[in-house]
Amino acid sequence: MKKINISRQSIYITILSFILLIFVLVFSFSLLIPQGKEYRMKRAQIKKISKNVKKLDNFNSEILTLLKDMQGDNRHIITALKTSFSEEKFLKQNKNYFKSLTLSKRIKAENEGEFIVYDVNTTSQMSSPKSFYDFLDSINKSDWIIGINFPIDFKRDGEMIYSTFSMKIYSDPVETNTTESNTTQ
Amino acid sequence: MKYSYVDSRKKSAFTDDMQLLFIFFAITLLMLSLTYFFLLFKDYRFEQEKIELYQKGNDLNTSIYTMQNQIAFIEKQNALSEIVYTKNTVLKDSITNLFDLVPQRITLSRASLLENGLILHGITPNKDVYNFMLQAPLRSIFHRTYSSFYPQENGWLNFVSTNYIDKEEEELDEEN
Repeated sequence: MKKINISRQSIYITILSFILLIFVLVFSFSLLIPQGKEYRMKRAQIKKISKNVKKLDNFNSEILTLLKDMQGDNRHIITALKTSFSEEKFLKQNKNYFKSLTLSKRIKAENEGEFIVYDVNTTSQMSSPKSFYDFLDSINKSDWIIGINFPIDFKRDGEMIYSTFSMKIYSDPVETNTTESNTTQ
Repeated sequence: MKYSYVDSRKKSAFTDDMQLLFIFFAITLLMLSLTYFFLLFKDYRFEQEKIELYQKGNDLNTSIYTMQNQIAFIEKQNALSEIVYTKNTVLKDSITNLFDLVPQRITLSRASLLENGLILHGITPNKDVYNFMLQAPLRSIFHRTYSSFYPQENGWLNFVSTNYIDKEEEELDEEN
Protein backbone atom coordinates (compact mmCIF):
# COMPACT_ATOMS: atom_id res chain seq x y z
CA MET A 1 0.00 0.00 0.00
CA LYS A 2 1.33 3.32 -1.05
CA LYS A 3 1.58 5.89 1.75
CA ILE A 4 0.16 9.37 0.98
CA ASN A 5 2.80 11.88 1.76
CA ILE A 6 1.30 15.25 2.87
CA SER A 7 3.60 17.73 4.45
CA ARG A 8 2.72 19.36 7.75
CA GLN A 9 2.93 22.72 6.00
CA SER A 10 0.15 21.77 3.61
CA ILE A 11 -2.03 20.60 6.47
CA TYR A 12 -1.59 23.97 8.26
CA ILE A 13 -2.46 25.88 5.10
CA THR A 14 -5.55 23.77 4.45
CA ILE A 15 -6.81 24.12 8.03
CA LEU A 16 -6.21 27.87 8.12
CA SER A 17 -7.88 28.36 4.76
CA PHE A 18 -10.86 26.36 5.95
CA ILE A 19 -11.10 28.45 9.13
CA LEU A 20 -10.94 31.63 7.07
CA LEU A 21 -13.68 30.37 4.78
CA ILE A 22 -15.90 29.55 7.76
CA PHE A 23 -15.19 32.93 9.30
CA VAL A 24 -15.97 34.77 6.05
CA LEU A 25 -19.21 32.85 5.61
CA VAL A 26 -20.35 33.38 9.20
CA PHE A 27 -19.36 37.05 9.15
CA SER A 28 -21.09 37.65 5.83
CA PHE A 29 -24.36 35.91 6.66
CA SER A 30 -24.66 37.07 10.25
CA LEU A 31 -23.49 40.69 9.95
CA LEU A 32 -22.57 41.92 6.50
CA ILE A 33 -25.61 40.83 4.48
CA PRO A 34 -28.24 41.96 7.08
CA GLN A 35 -26.41 45.26 7.43
CA GLY A 36 -26.29 45.61 3.65
CA LYS A 37 -30.04 44.95 3.41
CA GLU A 38 -30.71 47.54 6.09
CA TYR A 39 -28.46 49.99 4.25
CA ARG A 40 -30.42 49.54 1.01
CA MET A 41 -33.75 49.84 2.84
CA LYS A 42 -32.71 53.00 4.65
CA ARG A 43 -31.31 54.51 1.46
CA ALA A 44 -34.66 53.94 -0.26
CA GLN A 45 -36.47 55.38 2.77
CA ILE A 46 -34.27 58.49 2.79
CA LYS A 47 -34.84 58.93 -0.93
CA LYS A 48 -38.61 58.76 -0.38
CA ILE A 49 -38.53 61.22 2.55
CA SER A 50 -36.25 63.57 0.57
CA LYS A 51 -38.73 63.52 -2.31
CA ASN A 52 -41.61 64.38 0.04
CA VAL A 53 -39.61 67.14 1.72
CA LYS A 54 -38.69 68.54 -1.69
CA LYS A 55 -42.38 68.55 -2.65
CA LEU A 56 -43.17 70.35 0.63
CA ASP A 57 -40.34 72.80 -0.04
CA ASN A 58 -41.72 73.59 -3.51
CA PHE A 59 -45.23 74.00 -2.08
CA ASN A 60 -43.82 76.23 0.64
CA SER A 61 -42.16 78.40 -2.03
CA GLU A 62 -45.42 78.63 -3.99
CA ILE A 63 -47.37 79.63 -0.87
CA LEU A 64 -44.68 82.17 0.02
CA THR A 65 -44.88 83.71 -3.45
CA LEU A 66 -48.68 83.84 -3.22
CA LEU A 67 -48.48 85.43 0.23
CA LYS A 68 -45.95 88.04 -0.95
CA ASP A 69 -48.14 88.84 -3.98
CA MET A 70 -51.23 89.17 -1.81
CA GLN A 71 -49.38 91.34 0.71
CA GLY A 72 -48.18 93.52 -2.16
CA ASP A 73 -51.58 93.78 -3.84
CA ASN A 74 -53.43 94.50 -0.58
CA ARG A 75 -50.77 96.63 1.09
CA HIS A 76 -53.13 99.59 1.55
CA ILE A 77 -55.86 97.47 3.18
CA ILE A 78 -53.43 95.61 5.45
CA THR A 79 -51.77 98.84 6.57
CA ALA A 80 -55.14 100.57 6.99
CA LEU A 81 -56.45 97.81 9.25
CA LYS A 82 -53.27 97.85 11.31
CA THR A 83 -53.19 101.62 11.72
CA SER A 84 -54.65 102.86 14.95
CA PHE A 85 -57.34 105.48 14.30
CA SER A 86 -56.15 108.99 15.03
CA GLU A 87 -58.97 111.51 15.30
CA GLU A 88 -56.54 114.38 14.99
CA LYS A 89 -55.14 113.02 11.75
CA PHE A 90 -58.62 112.22 10.42
CA LEU A 91 -59.79 115.77 11.07
CA LYS A 92 -56.65 117.18 9.47
CA GLN A 93 -57.12 115.06 6.36
CA ASN A 94 -60.83 115.84 5.91
CA LYS A 95 -61.19 119.41 7.15
CA ASN A 96 -61.06 120.73 3.55
CA TYR A 97 -64.39 119.10 2.71
CA PHE A 98 -66.29 120.77 5.55
CA LYS A 99 -66.67 124.17 7.14
CA SER A 100 -66.51 122.37 10.45
CA LEU A 101 -66.15 118.75 11.46
CA THR A 102 -66.58 117.26 14.90
CA LEU A 103 -66.05 113.70 15.99
CA SER A 104 -67.51 112.12 19.07
CA LYS A 105 -65.57 109.82 21.34
CA ARG A 106 -64.80 106.48 19.81
CA ILE A 107 -67.03 103.71 21.17
CA LYS A 108 -66.28 100.06 20.74
CA ALA A 109 -69.08 98.34 18.83
CA GLU A 110 -69.77 94.68 18.28
CA ASN A 111 -66.94 92.90 16.46
CA GLU A 112 -67.47 91.92 12.85
CA GLY A 113 -65.95 88.49 12.55
CA GLU A 114 -62.39 88.82 13.77
CA PHE A 115 -62.27 92.58 13.26
CA ILE A 116 -62.72 95.17 15.95
CA VAL A 117 -65.26 97.87 15.12
CA TYR A 118 -65.52 101.33 16.62
CA ASP A 119 -68.43 103.70 16.17
CA VAL A 120 -67.76 107.41 15.81
CA ASN A 121 -70.58 109.93 15.47
CA THR A 122 -69.83 112.89 13.28
CA THR A 123 -71.39 116.32 12.93
CA SER A 124 -70.34 118.59 10.15
CA GLN A 125 -71.18 121.77 8.37
CA MET A 126 -70.76 122.19 4.62
CA SER A 127 -71.69 124.58 1.87
CA SER A 128 -72.95 122.08 -0.72
CA PRO A 129 -73.69 118.37 -1.11
CA LYS A 130 -70.69 118.13 -3.45
CA SER A 131 -68.38 118.46 -0.46
CA PHE A 132 -70.01 115.39 1.01
CA TYR A 133 -69.58 113.48 -2.28
CA ASP A 134 -65.90 114.39 -2.33
CA PHE A 135 -65.60 113.30 1.29
CA LEU A 136 -67.18 109.94 0.43
CA ASP A 137 -64.77 109.54 -2.49
CA SER A 138 -61.79 110.25 -0.28
CA ILE A 139 -62.89 107.99 2.57
CA ASN A 140 -62.09 104.87 0.53
CA LYS A 141 -58.54 106.10 0.07
CA SER A 142 -57.97 107.13 3.68
CA ASP A 143 -55.45 105.64 6.11
CA TRP A 144 -58.15 103.56 7.81
CA ILE A 145 -60.99 101.29 6.74
CA ILE A 146 -64.03 103.46 7.42
CA GLY A 147 -67.62 102.75 6.53
CA ILE A 148 -70.18 105.54 6.56
CA ASN A 149 -73.22 104.30 8.33
CA PHE A 150 -76.93 105.12 8.52
CA PRO A 151 -78.70 107.18 9.70
CA ILE A 152 -77.39 110.19 7.79
CA ASP A 153 -79.14 113.44 8.45
CA PHE A 154 -78.87 116.61 6.35
CA LYS A 155 -80.44 119.79 7.63
CA ARG A 156 -80.48 123.07 5.74
CA ASP A 157 -79.83 126.27 7.61
CA GLY A 158 -79.59 129.27 5.29
CA GLU A 159 -76.73 128.66 2.90
CA MET A 160 -75.21 125.93 5.01
CA ILE A 161 -76.01 122.24 5.35
CA TYR A 162 -75.57 120.57 8.70
CA SER A 163 -75.04 116.85 8.58
CA THR A 164 -74.78 114.14 11.17
CA PHE A 165 -73.75 110.63 10.40
CA SER A 166 -71.94 107.77 12.04
CA MET A 167 -68.81 106.01 10.90
CA LYS A 168 -67.64 102.49 11.54
CA ILE A 169 -63.88 102.15 11.85
CA TYR A 170 -62.52 98.67 11.33
CA SER A 171 -59.23 97.41 12.67
CA ASP A 172 -57.27 94.21 13.16
CA PRO A 173 -57.77 92.31 16.44
CA VAL A 174 -54.48 93.62 17.93
CA GLU A 175 -55.52 97.28 17.95
CA THR A 176 -57.54 98.07 21.09
CA ASN A 177 -56.71 101.53 22.41
CA THR A 178 -59.15 104.43 22.32
CA THR A 179 -58.56 108.17 22.17
CA GLU A 180 -60.49 111.23 23.15
CA SER A 181 -62.55 113.29 20.72
CA ASN A 182 -61.18 116.29 18.84
CA THR A 183 -62.77 119.15 17.04
CA THR A 184 -61.61 121.37 14.23
CA GLN A 185 -63.30 124.51 13.13
CA MET B 1 32.67 16.09 18.24
CA LYS B 2 31.57 17.88 15.13
CA TYR B 3 30.88 15.83 12.02
CA SER B 4 29.79 18.64 9.64
CA TYR B 5 30.96 22.12 8.91
CA VAL B 6 27.39 23.24 8.10
CA ASP B 7 25.01 24.16 10.93
CA SER B 8 21.59 22.59 10.91
CA ARG B 9 18.80 24.76 9.33
CA LYS B 10 16.26 25.89 11.86
CA LYS B 11 12.75 24.96 10.81
CA SER B 12 9.87 27.43 11.48
CA ALA B 13 6.11 27.23 11.02
CA PHE B 14 6.17 30.75 9.44
CA THR B 15 7.53 29.78 6.12
CA ASP B 16 7.26 32.06 3.10
CA ASP B 17 4.05 30.32 2.05
CA MET B 18 2.55 30.82 5.48
CA GLN B 19 3.52 34.49 5.53
CA LEU B 20 1.87 34.99 2.17
CA LEU B 21 -1.18 33.21 3.45
CA PHE B 22 -1.35 35.44 6.54
CA ILE B 23 -1.05 38.55 4.42
CA PHE B 24 -3.90 37.28 2.26
CA PHE B 25 -5.95 36.53 5.42
CA ALA B 26 -5.21 39.94 6.84
CA ILE B 27 -6.25 41.71 3.64
CA THR B 28 -9.47 39.67 3.44
CA LEU B 29 -10.39 40.37 7.05
CA LEU B 30 -9.51 44.04 6.65
CA MET B 31 -11.72 44.39 3.59
CA LEU B 32 -14.61 42.63 5.31
CA SER B 33 -14.25 44.80 8.39
CA LEU B 34 -13.98 47.98 6.35
CA THR B 35 -17.13 47.08 4.42
CA TYR B 36 -18.96 46.38 7.65
CA PHE B 37 -17.81 49.61 9.29
CA PHE B 38 -18.68 51.54 6.15
CA LEU B 39 -22.21 50.12 6.33
CA LEU B 40 -22.43 50.96 10.04
CA PHE B 41 -21.26 54.50 9.36
CA LYS B 42 -23.75 54.95 6.51
CA ASP B 43 -26.48 53.58 8.75
CA TYR B 44 -25.61 56.18 11.37
CA ARG B 45 -25.53 58.95 8.72
CA PHE B 46 -28.92 57.83 7.38
CA GLU B 47 -30.39 58.04 10.87
CA GLN B 48 -29.00 61.56 11.25
CA GLU B 49 -30.25 62.55 7.81
CA LYS B 50 -33.68 61.09 8.55
CA ILE B 51 -33.97 63.14 11.76
CA GLU B 52 -32.87 66.28 9.85
CA LEU B 53 -35.36 65.60 7.04
CA TYR B 54 -38.22 65.01 9.50
CA GLN B 55 -37.28 68.23 11.29
CA LYS B 56 -37.19 70.12 8.00
CA GLY B 57 -40.53 68.58 7.01
CA ASN B 58 -42.08 69.67 10.31
CA ASP B 59 -40.65 73.19 9.91
CA LEU B 60 -42.03 73.39 6.37
CA ASN B 61 -45.44 72.14 7.50
CA THR B 62 -45.52 74.77 10.26
CA SER B 63 -44.43 77.48 7.82
CA ILE B 64 -47.09 76.43 5.27
CA TYR B 65 -49.79 76.36 7.96
CA THR B 66 -48.79 79.84 9.20
CA MET B 67 -48.70 81.28 5.69
CA GLN B 68 -52.05 79.70 4.79
CA ASN B 69 -53.53 81.33 7.89
CA GLN B 70 -52.01 84.66 6.84
CA ILE B 71 -53.45 84.26 3.33
CA ALA B 72 -56.88 83.40 4.76
CA PHE B 73 -56.69 86.49 6.99
CA ILE B 74 -55.69 88.74 4.07
CA GLU B 75 -58.65 87.33 2.12
CA LYS B 76 -60.91 88.23 5.04
CA GLN B 77 -59.37 91.71 5.21
CA ASN B 78 -59.86 92.09 1.48
CA ALA B 79 -63.48 90.90 1.64
CA LEU B 80 -64.23 93.27 4.53
CA SER B 81 -62.68 96.26 2.77
CA GLU B 82 -64.52 95.41 -0.47
CA ILE B 83 -67.84 95.38 1.41
CA VAL B 84 -67.06 98.66 3.19
CA TYR B 85 -65.82 100.40 0.03
CA THR B 86 -68.80 99.17 -1.99
CA LYS B 87 -71.21 100.37 0.71
CA ASN B 88 -69.55 103.79 0.68
CA THR B 89 -69.77 103.99 -3.10
CA VAL B 90 -73.40 102.86 -3.12
CA LEU B 91 -74.15 105.39 -0.40
CA LYS B 92 -72.58 108.18 -2.41
CA ASP B 93 -74.60 107.16 -5.50
CA SER B 94 -77.78 107.01 -3.40
CA ILE B 95 -77.25 110.51 -2.01
CA THR B 96 -76.40 111.88 -5.47
CA ASN B 97 -79.54 110.26 -6.89
CA LEU B 98 -81.63 111.61 -4.02
CA PHE B 99 -80.56 115.20 -4.58
CA ASP B 100 -80.93 114.79 -8.36
CA LEU B 101 -84.44 113.49 -7.78
CA VAL B 102 -85.62 116.67 -6.11
CA PRO B 103 -86.99 119.10 -8.74
CA GLN B 104 -86.01 122.77 -8.88
CA ARG B 105 -89.45 123.96 -7.68
CA ILE B 106 -89.25 121.96 -4.47
CA THR B 107 -86.84 122.99 -1.74
CA LEU B 108 -85.64 120.47 0.82
CA SER B 109 -85.06 121.65 4.37
CA ARG B 110 -84.11 118.31 5.85
CA ALA B 111 -83.31 114.82 4.60
CA SER B 112 -82.80 111.78 6.78
CA LEU B 113 -81.41 108.65 5.18
CA LEU B 114 -82.24 105.54 7.18
CA GLU B 115 -81.19 101.94 6.75
CA ASN B 116 -84.46 101.09 5.04
CA GLY B 117 -86.08 104.45 4.46
CA LEU B 118 -85.93 108.13 3.68
CA ILE B 119 -87.59 111.05 5.42
CA LEU B 120 -87.76 114.35 3.55
CA HIS B 121 -88.87 117.72 4.87
CA GLY B 122 -89.34 120.57 2.44
CA ILE B 123 -91.41 123.24 0.78
CA THR B 124 -93.52 122.82 -2.34
CA PRO B 125 -95.57 125.44 -4.22
CA ASN B 126 -98.57 123.10 -4.28
CA LYS B 127 -99.55 119.46 -3.88
CA ASP B 128 -99.60 118.75 -7.63
CA VAL B 129 -95.98 119.72 -8.08
CA TYR B 130 -95.08 117.49 -5.15
CA ASN B 131 -97.23 114.56 -6.30
CA PHE B 132 -96.03 114.55 -9.89
CA MET B 133 -92.45 115.61 -9.53
CA LEU B 134 -91.35 114.06 -6.26
CA GLN B 135 -93.83 111.55 -4.95
CA ALA B 136 -94.11 109.63 -8.26
CA PRO B 137 -90.39 108.82 -8.48
CA LEU B 138 -90.27 108.11 -4.72
CA ARG B 139 -93.13 105.62 -5.11
CA SER B 140 -91.19 103.77 -7.81
CA ILE B 141 -88.26 103.33 -5.43
CA PHE B 142 -89.92 102.74 -2.05
CA HIS B 143 -92.58 100.21 -1.11
CA ARG B 144 -94.43 102.50 1.30
CA THR B 145 -94.69 106.27 0.96
CA TYR B 146 -96.54 108.59 3.31
CA SER B 147 -96.92 112.35 2.85
CA SER B 148 -98.29 115.06 5.06
CA PHE B 149 -98.66 118.76 4.34
CA TYR B 150 -99.18 121.90 6.35
CA PRO B 151 -99.54 125.35 4.82
CA GLN B 152 -97.13 128.23 5.13
CA GLU B 153 -98.15 131.87 5.45
CA ASN B 154 -97.17 132.64 1.83
CA GLY B 155 -99.47 129.94 0.45
CA TRP B 156 -96.75 127.35 -0.15
CA LEU B 157 -96.89 124.01 1.59
CA ASN B 158 -94.49 122.40 4.00
CA PHE B 159 -94.35 118.68 3.45
CA VAL B 160 -92.99 115.64 5.24
CA SER B 161 -92.45 112.62 3.05
CA THR B 162 -91.76 109.32 4.81
CA ASN B 163 -90.68 106.42 2.60
CA TYR B 164 -89.80 102.86 3.49
CA ILE B 165 -88.43 99.81 1.73
CA ASP B 166 -89.83 96.54 3.05
CA LYS B 167 -87.06 93.98 3.24
CA GLU B 168 -89.38 91.03 2.53
CA GLU B 169 -90.70 92.64 -0.64
CA GLU B 170 -87.18 93.59 -1.66
CA GLU B 171 -86.10 89.98 -1.34
CA LEU B 172 -89.10 88.90 -3.43
CA ASP B 173 -88.21 91.48 -6.11
CA GLU B 174 -84.63 90.19 -6.18
CA GLU B 175 -85.82 86.59 -6.57
CA ASN B 176 -88.02 87.56 -9.52
